[in-house]
Amino acid sequence: MPAAPHYDLAHALAALVAIAILLSGLALLAVKQVHEQVRVYAVQSAFAAGYTLLIGLNNGDAALIALAVWTAVIKVLLIPISIDRQITRQVSEHEVPLVVQVPMSLLIGVTLAGLAYYSASALPVHGALLPTPALGMPLSLVLIGFFFMITRQNVISQIVGLLTLENGVFVATVAIAPGLPFVIGFLLLLDLLPAVLFYGVFARLIAARAKGTSIEDMSVLRG
Amino acid sequence: MAIWLLIMLALPFAAAAATLALGDRRLSGRLSAGAGVGSFAVALVVVFGDHVARGRHALGNTFFLDGLSGVFLIAVAFVYAVVAVYSMGYLLPGIGHIQLRRWYWPLLDVFGLALLATPIVANLGVLWVAVELTTVVSALLVTAEGSDESLEAGWKYIVIGSSGLAAGLLGIVLIYAAGVPSLGDHYAPTYTTLTQAGAHLTPSLVRTGFAFVLVGFGTKVGLVPMHAWLPDAHSEGPSPVSAMLSGALLAGALYAVLRLGAVAQLAVGPTYVHVLLLVFGGLSLLLAAFFVLRQNNYKRLLAYSSIEHMGIVTLGIGIGGPIAAYGAFFHVIVHAAGKTLAFFGAGDVLSRYETRDADAVRGVIRVAPFTGAMVLLGALAITGVPPFGLFRSELLIVTGGFSQSKYALAGLLIVLVNVAFVGVYQLFHRMVISTAEPNARDRARLSRPEQPLMAAAMLASLAVVLVLGVWIPSPLNQLLHAAASVIGGRV
Repeated sequence: MPAAPHYDLAHALAALVAIAILLSGLALLAVKQVHEQVRVYAVQSAFAAGYTLLIGLNNGDAALIALAVWTAVIKVLLIPISIDRQITRQVSEHEVPLVVQVPMSLLIGVTLAGLAYYSASALPVHGALLPTPALGMPLSLVLIGFFFMITRQNVISQIVGLLTLENGVFVATVAIAPGLPFVIGFLLLLDLLPAVLFYGVFARLIAARAKGTSIEDMSVLRG
Repeated sequence: MAIWLLIMLALPFAAAAATLALGDRRLSGRLSAGAGVGSFAVALVVVFGDHVARGRHALGNTFFLDGLSGVFLIAVAFVYAVVAVYSMGYLLPGIGHIQLRRWYWPLLDVFGLALLATPIVANLGVLWVAVELTTVVSALLVTAEGSDESLEAGWKYIVIGSSGLAAGLLGIVLIYAAGVPSLGDHYAPTYTTLTQAGAHLTPSLVRTGFAFVLVGFGTKVGLVPMHAWLPDAHSEGPSPVSAMLSGALLAGALYAVLRLGAVAQLAVGPTYVHVLLLVFGGLSLLLAAFFVLRQNNYKRLLAYSSIEHMGIVTLGIGIGGPIAAYGAFFHVIVHAAGKTLAFFGAGDVLSRYETRDADAVRGVIRVAPFTGAMVLLGALAITGVPPFGLFRSELLIVTGGFSQSKYALAGLLIVLVNVAFVGVYQLFHRMVISTAEPNARDRARLSRPEQPLMAAAMLASLAVVLVLGVWIPSPLNQLLHAAASVIGGRV
C-alpha cells in the first residue's frame, strides 16, 4: 500500500502554482492579440519563477533561489519588454490570423495536456514538492507551446510559442532534476537572451520586407 | 592537454572579438582564417599527440576527450579551417553576394567556437548549450545574402532547430533524472559520471530520454522526418556557410546523439539504441536518395545529399558491431571533406552564373576548367565513387552489415547509395560537361580567373577525401577503432 501523501503548505502552494502554469499555457491559446500573448508569457514565466523559488526554499537550496530571481529578471521583465518594443515599433497588424480557431485550440490544448499527464504517469519520476506526475504539467506546456507555435502565422507569436516550449523544459528541469547544477540553469537563461535578440533581428527583417510580421506569404521554399 | 584545448578555443574567440571590432576589412578575413587553420592544427596535436583514444579528462572535469570526441573534433576543425580560407576569397567584391558583411566574420568565428566546443565538453548540459549556440549564429549566417528566400530559410531554421533542441534538452533532463536514484540529487551530468552509474540508471527514464534526444538533436542532424529546415538553409545560405552546416554542424549534432546513445546503451542495452538509430537513419537515407533525383537546384540537391549521408552514418552505427561503426566514423570525416569540396565548387559556379537552377548552367568546364573539374570531382567524391574516401567508408558499413548478418539493410544501403549517385552525378554532369556554348558577353563574366584562396580551400578538401580513400594513417586508424568501441562494441 502506498504511503499516505503528506500535505503541508509548501506542497499545497506547489500544486497551486503548477495548476496556474498549466492554465497560463491554455490561456495563451485563447488570446489573439500579439501584445496579450507576450503578457500571458510574462505571467507564465512569473509562475515558473515562483515554482523554482518554492522548491528552492523547501530544499534550502540557495542556487535554486538565485535561479528563480534570475528567471524573474530575464523572463518576466527583460524578454517581454524587449519583444513588446519590437511589436510597438514595427508591427502593423496586431491581431494574429489563426489557423485553428480559439474554441478548437482550447479543446486541443486540453487534450494535449491529458495526453501529457497520461504518458508522464508511466514514468517513475519523483517531483520535488509535486505528486507523482510531476512531469505531466511541464510536458503539457511543451506540447501546448509547440501546438501554439505551429498554428499561429506570426513571427512574434512563434517566438512566444518557442519561449513557452522552453518554459516547459525549464519547469521540467526544476521539477524532476532540481539538482542539475546551477551553472546549467544559468547558462540556459543566458542563452535565451541572444536567442531572443536574434529572433528580434529576424522579426525586424521580416517586418521590413512584408510590412508586418505575418508569415502567411512565406511559402516560396518547398520540396 | 588542457592548455592546448584552451588555445584551440581561444583562437576563434579572439578572432570573433577582433573582427567584431574591426568590422568589414581584409584583416578580419585574415584573422578568422588564421584562427580556423590554427585551431585545426591544435586539434590535430591534441587528438593525435595526446592519445585521446583512451579517454582523457582535462582541466578537472571541464573537458573530456575519447575516440568519439576525437573523430568529430577533427571533422569540425577541418571544416572551420577550410571554410574560413574559402570565405576570404568568397567575400571579395564581385564574387559572393554577402549583404551582412559587417557580421559575417564574427558570426563565423563564434560558429566555429561553438562547434569546436561541442565534442570536447564533458558536461552534457554544456554540450546542449554549445549546440544551441550554433543554431542562433548559423541561422543569421544563412540570411547573409539578404534575399527574401534566405530570410524565409533562416526563420524556418531557427524555429524548427530551437524547438528540436528544446526536446533534446528535455531528453538530457530525463537522463539526468534517471541518475538521481543512484547518484543523488546533486551531481554533474558528465559522460564519465553517467557511464559509471551505467546499469544503475532508471531504464524507463533513459529510454524516454534518449528518444527525446534523438528526435531533438536529430532535428539538427537533419534526420527525416525532422529535416524540413535543412534543404532551405543549405540552399539559400552563402556557399561557405552551407559547407559549414553540412560538414560540421550536422556532425556536431550527431555527436550529441551518439554521446548520449553511448550512455543510454549501458542502461537499456545496445539493441534499443541501435534500433532507434536504424529507423531514423534508414528513413533519412530512403527519403533523401529519392529526393535527390527530383532536384533541379544544385545546392538543394547537395542539401538532400547531406541528409542522405547523415542517414548513412546513423544507419552505420545502428547496424552495430565494430566494422560498421568504424566505417560510419570514417564516413563522418570523409563526408566533411567531400561535402565542403562540393559546396565550394557549387559556390564558385553560383558566383559565375548567378543562378541555382541547374538547367541554366551549362559547359562549366569550357569557361572555367578548374572550377568545372572541382565540381565534378566533388560530385564523384560525395557519391562514393572509388578511389574517394566515401567509397571506402560506405564499403566498410556494408561489410559491417554483412558481418552482423543484416543482409537486407546492407542491400538497401547499396541500392539507395546508387540511386543517389544517379541523381547527383547526372545533374552535375549536365552542368559541367555539355556542348552548350555561352555567348561572348556571358563568356567574359563566366570565365573570371580562379580566386586563389577559394581554389586552395577546394584543393585541400580534395586532397583529404582522395588521400583517405587510398590510405588511412595509423593514428587515425587507432582513433577510429577507439571511436567504434565507444558505441559499436569492441573489436
